[in-house]
Amino acid sequence: MTCGTGHGRESAGSGPGSGVSLEASFSALLEDDIDDLYENAPCGYLSTLLDGQIAKANTTLLTWLGYRREEMVGRMRFTDLLTVGGKLYHETHFGPLLRMQGGVRGIALELKAADGTRLPVLVTSTVKAGADGEPQLVRTTLVDARDRRAYEQELLRGRQEAEAAREQAERDRARLQSVLATLQQSLLPPSLPVVPGLEAAAHYHTASPDHLGGDFYDLFTLGNGRWGFFLGDVCGKGPEAAAVTSLTRYTLRAAALHDADPVTVLGILNTALHEKYASGDARYCTVIFGTLTPRDDGFAVSLASGGHPPVLVTRADGTARYLPTPGGCLVGALPDAPFTAVTTTLAPGDTLLLYTDGLTEARIGTGSGGERYGDDALLDFAARLSPVTPGAAITAVTELLRGFGDGLDDDTAVLCLGVPSVTPIEESS
Amino acid sequence: MSDLHITTHATPAGPALALRGELDHHSAPLLREAIDRVTLHADEQMVLDLSGLTFCDSSGITAFIVARNRTLESGAAIALAGTPPHILRVLRIVGLDQIFPLHPDTGTAAAVWAQTRNPVGP
Repeated sequence: MTCGTGHGRESAGSGPGSGVSLEASFSALLEDDIDDLYENAPCGYLSTLLDGQIAKANTTLLTWLGYRREEMVGRMRFTDLLTVGGKLYHETHFGPLLRMQGGVRGIALELKAADGTRLPVLVTSTVKAGADGEPQLVRTTLVDARDRRAYEQELLRGRQEAEAAREQAERDRARLQSVLATLQQSLLPPSLPVVPGLEAAAHYHTASPDHLGGDFYDLFTLGNGRWGFFLGDVCGKGPEAAAVTSLTRYTLRAAALHDADPVTVLGILNTALHEKYASGDARYCTVIFGTLTPRDDGFAVSLASGGHPPVLVTRADGTARYLPTPGGCLVGALPDAPFTAVTTTLAPGDTLLLYTDGLTEARIGTGSGGERYGDDALLDFAARLSPVTPGAAITAVTELLRGFGDGLDDDTAVLCLGVPSVTPIEESS
Repeated sequence: MSDLHITTHATPAGPALALRGELDHHSAPLLREAIDRVTLHADEQMVLDLSGLTFCDSSGITAFIVARNRTLESGAAIALAGTPPHILRVLRIVGLDQIFPLHPDTGTAAAVWAQTRNPVGP
């Protein structure tokens, strides 16, 4: 406030001559020098002829760009101040719009300073017509847009960083999924080996593609014509269960190569699991381990159960029954778990069916109180199939599982081992 | 979704948890949480009353084993009471019938526990 009078009194117009003196002091301040106002305005001014030749420029613009007046006026065109991209834009958009509409507002362009640096500006141009109405020249104001550009660049950088982070997250996710798929694949045998005189088939149902399953099975050589097999179920899901599955698989294979007696093998697995997971959360599995020894025209089977549902066997005579293994305790939960062994023989036309409880515990009723499939139903199912080859049994079980639909919400593994009723040797002789 | 209801009450022998409904991988965390909330002193016995349990899968078995580990760490004991035949069949398959003392009901569980703590004669 340069005026000594109070605001209220002033607006009331009281006091002789006070309104006049205020106006005079504003005039003195604002209009003392129109030239100075033009030259040192807070924006650049530029007047060009219709061909673009610069006819007038203010000091502000000259200072921004580092040109002397005589270098620019009469010697340069407006487009000489623009970057290559700006020139192009001027040619294709700015110029035509200006001619068509008589004015262009707020176009963002970059000016090239004498030292080569760039100055972002917002350009507004109007065409000034003469008394005859014909266009005479173009008046242009240029507003420094460095702050605005910096802000835009911040926004852009922020967006680019967010974009980069998103891309990284997507790459990580893809990588993890690929690792997960590889690991899951490594938990199952890629394919069952060809065993002379034996037909083997398996099916693995994964309840959720995102979860590493805890069911596992394998069939592998023990040397001297003998074979080992196992099928089991690790409690729980996810990476922890997968780690137990992995440990279980390799321990069983290694132990069996040392001494294939099923109770001994399960005892070694129990020690390994119990030692590793004794403290903290319970980690255990239920598993059936067995050996196949060639005998006559079939195999002698010796197997032991560690808390796993009993094996089903279908015979060539069309019967089916469970092979009970009572008293076998789940593996890994107790320091000295007991295991129960049982022996049988597989003659031509006989088939062993090993499964995990996803099969028998599938819901067959509707709603939350849905009835479970159960082992009586499974026994009936096997009796209707019998006699059956492993391949046909797996096909039938796969069909059965599909029929459960949403009632099957757990992983399920099924392994069938059988002796063909007509062996290839007999066929060829 | 499965339904599981757990009611906890104190007995002279220690806490008793009555389970009603289905114990599977959906509901097993409820049992674990209930067991974590229970205050258990050394020389007490925790009883799981299974008489109202209609279903139990491997997740339920895990929860039982976790409960057993927890009680043993506390120097306490654990027992099952009122196990229905179909649940007993599951326990037999996995061999837990050899690990958990099984009693007809919570009262018997408490009585047997009291007897083992105060054996007759010096």
